[in-house]
Amino acid sequence: MSRKSLKRYFEILELDSDASLSEIKNAYIRLKRLYSTDSMVITPIADEFSKKRRLAVLQQIEEAYTKLNEVLKDEHQKSTNFGKPGMASENDTEGEEVDSVSFSGDVLRQIREKRGIQLYEVALDTKIRVEILENIEYERFESLPQEVYLKGHVSNYARYLLLDSRKVADDYISRYKAWKADAKEKV
Amino acid sequence: MEKSEKEGKIWAIGGGKGGTGKTFVTSAMGTYLAGKGKRVVLIDVDIGGANLHSFLGINRPKKSLTDFFETGTSLNKLAVKTGIDNMSLITGDIHSLASDSIKFTQKLKLFRHIMKLNKHYVIIDLGGGSHNNTIDTFLMADKMIVILEPEITSVENMYHFIKNALFRKLRMSLREYGFKEIVEQMWERREEYNIKSLRELMDSIRDSFSYVGDIIDSVLSNFKIYLILNKIRSSDDILIGSSMKSIFVKYLGVDTKFVGFIEYDDSVWRSVRERRPFMLNYSLSRSAKEIEVFTENLLQGKEIKLSRN
Repeated sequence: MSRKSLKRYFEILELDSDASLSEIKNAYIRLKRLYSTDSMVITPIADEFSKKRRLAVLQQIEEAYTKLNEVLKDEHQKSTNFGKPGMASENDTEGEEVDSVSFSGDVLRQIREKRGIQLYEVALDTKIRVEILENIEYERFESLPQEVYLKGHVSNYARYLLLDSRKVADDYISRYKAWKADAKEKV
Repeated sequence: MEKSEKEGKIWAIGGGKGGTGKTFVTSAMGTYLAGKGKRVVLIDVDIGGANLHSFLGINRPKKSLTDFFETGTSLNKLAVKTGIDNMSLITGDIHSLASDSIKFTQKLKLFRHIMKLNKHYVIIDLGGGSHNNTIDTFLMADKMIVILEPEITSVENMYHFIKNALFRKLRMSLREYGFKEIVEQMWERREEYNIKSLRELMDSIRDSFSYVGDIIDSVLSNFKIYLILNKIRSSDDILIGSSMKSIFVKYLGVDTKFVGFIEYDDSVWRSVRERRPFMLNYSLSRSAKEIEVFTENLLQGKEIKLSRN
């Protein structure tokens, strides 16, 4: 698929069709934040610009990003950020290059802070409570829900941060398991 | 004259809230364009109190648009020198612009005369508010420019202003095509149709009268807004401009270009107090540079390039 046939998706992300992958990602993060938070520009029209409408906009943004990412990744694989840790997309099947980083709670927190995202913003979007997110980041395993639920939360959070959700969840759960085994031994 | 200049001769500066810097931007853009050798006339139609002359450091002109309406004085005769080469000023006053003293036909006559002015650019300072005369003048312009301040009050008033303008444009266009009643009827029966906003009104009209869908589309495609953000205090504030633009596009379907911003700058009021045109007095300031950038963007129909964006 050529860049021209992707015009619609570039328009949704409010970009020119020669935008780079990192511009695409930044626009995606910015717009996703705009339409999922109650900011000064949303509040005055929140009544009429309903949650439902905003959700529809968010879906379009999501679709545009996924599509552009999918198609343009090959085009730019070597020259962009996408090989860096934490930048792989969800449907990244050949994400070997990201394996160098192991995702701990601390790494997740650092990535989030680097992007200037607040925990409550994550909570609004993922529907995961702030205290759970905080426990995930600080690896307070004893306060976290059971493994199956935890895995779901961690992948959701990872997806929100545009990380490879499967890898993040696997890394995180293996840390959780190690802690659990450790705790058992002590008993 | 280049084609693009011909097409974009009349610029109107509005945006709803008073005090966001419309008059300042009008005077500064005019000074910049005149400095490039363009023939410029500024028209001050601020109902709340025309004071564009003060930004240029001159006295209030003796004649105003009242003379145009009452005695038919030509616009060329009303235009006074501003002390800046190539640039003149025409002033309105509360009397001539207040709510009902001016008839629709008179307004059209004024617009016709404005279009005929032998100038490269006519820049109209609309002042605050969303009065019908203000909105109609805004809609007449080739470039509809709005000034936003990073304050919630300014955001609120701007929504109001833009929705008003779009609603009026929609009604006018449908009337032209002979569908005068549609908007009124729909709006009157809004409870029945569950219409709570302009957007829902447009959607409902589309759904109920598929044949007017094209008219709505053409109204929207000709309704272009140029957004300038004034008095920003941090680089984060710039996001408010791009967010506003995004919502206009995605929610109202209005083509919007975010052309630039101006940092909050004390030298602006200092320059008014000194009665000297800002662009001459502080030509090397950051604000002056920012004004040049968005004026060029307006000329070329380009958006500002945001590195973070």
